[in-house]
Amino acid sequence: MSLVLPEPDLNIIDNKKDIVKDISEITKNVISSDDEIKPYETDGLSVYRQKPIAVVLPETTEEVSKILKYCFDKKIKVVPRGAGTGLSGGSIPLADCILMGMGKFNKILETDFENRCVVAQPCVANLAITTAVQHKDFYYAPDPSSQLACSIGGNVAENSGGVHSLKYGTTTNNLMGVEMVLMDGTILKLGGKHLDSEGYDLLGLVTGSEGLLGVITEVTVRILKKPESVRAVLIGFQSIEDSGNCVADIIAKGIVPAGMEIMDKPLIIATDNFAKAGYPRDVEALLIVELDGTVSEVDTLINKVLDIAKMNKASYNRASNSDEERMRFWKGRKAAFTACGVIAPDYICMDGSIPRNKLSDVLAYISKLSKKYKLDVANCFHAGDGNLHPLIMFDSNDPVEMKKAEDFGADILKYCVKVGGVLSGEHGIGVEKRELMCEMFNDNDIQQQLNIKQAFDEKNLLNPGKVFPILHRCAEGGRMHIHKGKDKFPNLPRF
Amino acid sequence: MTETYYPKNESEVSDFIFDHFNKNNPIEIAGYGSKKIGRIIQSSQTLSLKDLSGIIEYFPEELYIKVLPGTSLKEIEETLAKKNQFLGFEPNDLGYLYTGRANSGSIGGVVSCNLSGPGRFKHGALRDHVLGFKAVNGSGAKIKSGGTVVKNVTGYDLSKVISGSYGTLCAITEINLKVSPLPEFEETFVISDLNYEDAIQVFKLALDSSLEISGACYFPSENASFLTLNDVKKDTSILGLRVQGPKPSVVERIKQLKKMFSDKKISILDIYQTSIFWREIKNFEGYANEDTYVCKISLPVTNMGSFLRYFNKTNFKYFLDWAGNIAWCSLTSQEDLDQMRIFCLKHDGYLTVLRANDNFRKSEEFLTNSNSSLKILSKKLKESFDPRGILNPNKMYSGV
Repeated sequence: MSLVLPEPDLNIIDNKKDIVKDISEITKNVISSDDEIKPYETDGLSVYRQKPIAVVLPETTEEVSKILKYCFDKKIKVVPRGAGTGLSGGSIPLADCILMGMGKFNKILETDFENRCVVAQPCVANLAITTAVQHKDFYYAPDPSSQLACSIGGNVAENSGGVHSLKYGTTTNNLMGVEMVLMDGTILKLGGKHLDSEGYDLLGLVTGSEGLLGVITEVTVRILKKPESVRAVLIGFQSIEDSGNCVADIIAKGIVPAGMEIMDKPLIIATDNFAKAGYPRDVEALLIVELDGTVSEVDTLINKVLDIAKMNKASYNRASNSDEERMRFWKGRKAAFTACGVIAPDYICMDGSIPRNKLSDVLAYISKLSKKYKLDVANCFHAGDGNLHPLIMFDSNDPVEMKKAEDFGADILKYCVKVGGVLSGEHGIGVEKRELMCEMFNDNDIQQQLNIKQAFDEKNLLNPGKVFPILHRCAEGGRMHIHKGKDKFPNLPRF
Repeated sequence: MTETYYPKNESEVSDFIFDHFNKNNPIEIAGYGSKKIGRIIQSSQTLSLKDLSGIIEYFPEELYIKVLPGTSLKEIEETLAKKNQFLGFEPNDLGYLYTGRANSGSIGGVVSCNLSGPGRFKHGALRDHVLGFKAVNGSGAKIKSGGTVVKNVTGYDLSKVISGSYGTLCAITEINLKVSPLPEFEETFVISDLNYEDAIQVFKLALDSSLEISGACYFPSENASFLTLNDVKKDTSILGLRVQGPKPSVVERIKQLKKMFSDKKISILDIYQTSIFWREIKNFEGYANEDTYVCKISLPVTNMGSFLRYFNKTNFKYFLDWAGNIAWCSLTSQEDLDQMRIFCLKHDGYLTVLRANDNFRKSEEFLTNSNSSLKILSKKLKESFDPRGILNPNKMYSGV
């Protein structure tokens, strides 16, 4: 599969030997043989592959700083990489880049229960943070489905969420501080163990910036006390509309569940076949509502939710009476991706966010597209926060089908934007959705973002070719200041 | 003589800024002028966003509201209350600090200051509740970022950057805010007669429980008169823990708190007293009608005790909020203020001046001077929005 990336600088490629030699003087961990580089040529979006000139695995912040400074001086591009689980191709290398793997930054530095936070190196897995504090009944709230493998630094880069974002927020709402290194080698500390920082909220800006503004070398996250009680309800409906209305009514009644998930019929069948979760099969939509808090609060709310479900013509409902039962409710949903992997050779997972009340509209449109492209699709929806994950099934050995799947995905995202949603809820733009940015933003919006990129990385060396469109400009949307026929930043690649 | 321009729409904002960009003229951006916060700006032109007012759309089930920047906070809060919703960051009404009476100003001004009320440690800061916005940057270009959904990784999250930027990056023309359901019931668990060290210990115990405390403040006895509520004693220290949620749950949790702190002097504030108690705190009503410096001291909880110990002999009033993460202080000596700022810098925190006299605001810094690399980056960021430095110049730092 071909992917358009910024034009490689052939001089850099030709100088590989010298570059590797120079960087080897900064750190001993430089990999440059073709065989050893291979595992780094792609990430979670494995349809695209590209080898970098070398992979470097620094061990300290000082090494990161020295390597970046060296690359800055020599105008060598750098692509940072955490655990490599990203789904939008954010850490796919360039032919003329140094891939900076953060794998050796894998330690938890401090568990601080007094200040209710954990200080960790960026390549610590998301789940490892909870593991480190759970003996005192604390946990880290954002829980992306890849939490066993994905790194906390990668979570910062993509502002990862999970199924509990409505109540507990995404990474940005749970991050207290970072240490990061800019492309010119400057080491910065943003935030810390206090709440809020004054001055510009650079921490908020860096979160979700997809590795374009700096390399994260340390992360401080807030930890929460585990709720006293967690229960879930499984509710079946004869139509998607009814399930959507039920979600709207739950929120209108002032209830903020910890999680709300909707699956459509194809996904109910696929996941139940795979995980034997015991889901009802005679329903068109299945809603899981999870509530947490004190025992009395959860019990009160469960009854309210069941009443609301009845009013919305629920044809099936069951409340969990034990943690085992609750886990069973989630078993199918959590196996959604794997289950689709069993019924089709390949699938792509889309990641738009939409206003909750547009769910049935968007699902009807997806179903129409499924017929048009003659490809099966199954849908799961983080109904609490509006994040929709259609799973489009196809066979990557068939190039025509592959192209169709890509077009199908793009059509879904365009429609998400049309109904007031956004291109990505939690996977990021990366290379995957780069060219779709114009669906949401005009040239002024993109230019403002590029100006910010330049403030952090004036030579555009850190993870270039990601997030912003490179094949075309977005439509003009109002005044853009052009001085004497020149852009404000003539040196900035305008793609 | 300052001239004030009142644009009626986004395009007029853009034309005005573009014109001043060409002339290289500084502009002061204003809402209702209710907040005398930040450094005083020298400019002959004021851009007032007062007339860009109104609620564009409000979908209670979608948990967001889209408003124009000049909309009064009061109008927004009243609209939300009709649907049993509120702004979860509990915006402060700074009117009491500057004029001695309520004047919460416009939402644009509120967002520009990024100040948050008592629930901050549980529900996040203002910046966590801004979902998206439209604005005009310093070269007159209309820009936008974010959306109306809570989960969004589509380009840089500029909503965070404009929150607390004091109008130095752009003139906001539209704001999308996340809204939250109002708690059905609330009560406050009060413990009196504690010193600050015990108070910090109580915060820890309460927050280490699963009782979902959503407000935790402490007034030493010297500052107990801050609170006017009749039901609170004025001759002893007061620690308040707010418990919110469905009524049976609140009742149950208050019972558990009584058990946890059975050896302390305790009392309960009912739902009506609770609302007054936390309103007074949120709006700094006890610091009204004083000619003092008021500042926010933000430190890791573990350093707050050291701060209070270090300034034990200093003449100042304070109360702790956000479960000990923050001290709101009132003091008369600038020298003491400077000492406190130095302490914060050394102890992983910062000090922000909320109220000061005009002389101070003309010549001194109201934010803690961050380190030089941060300042350089902040300056570059400012230039990325406002290349000629015409929007609220020097309002945040001298030179930014």
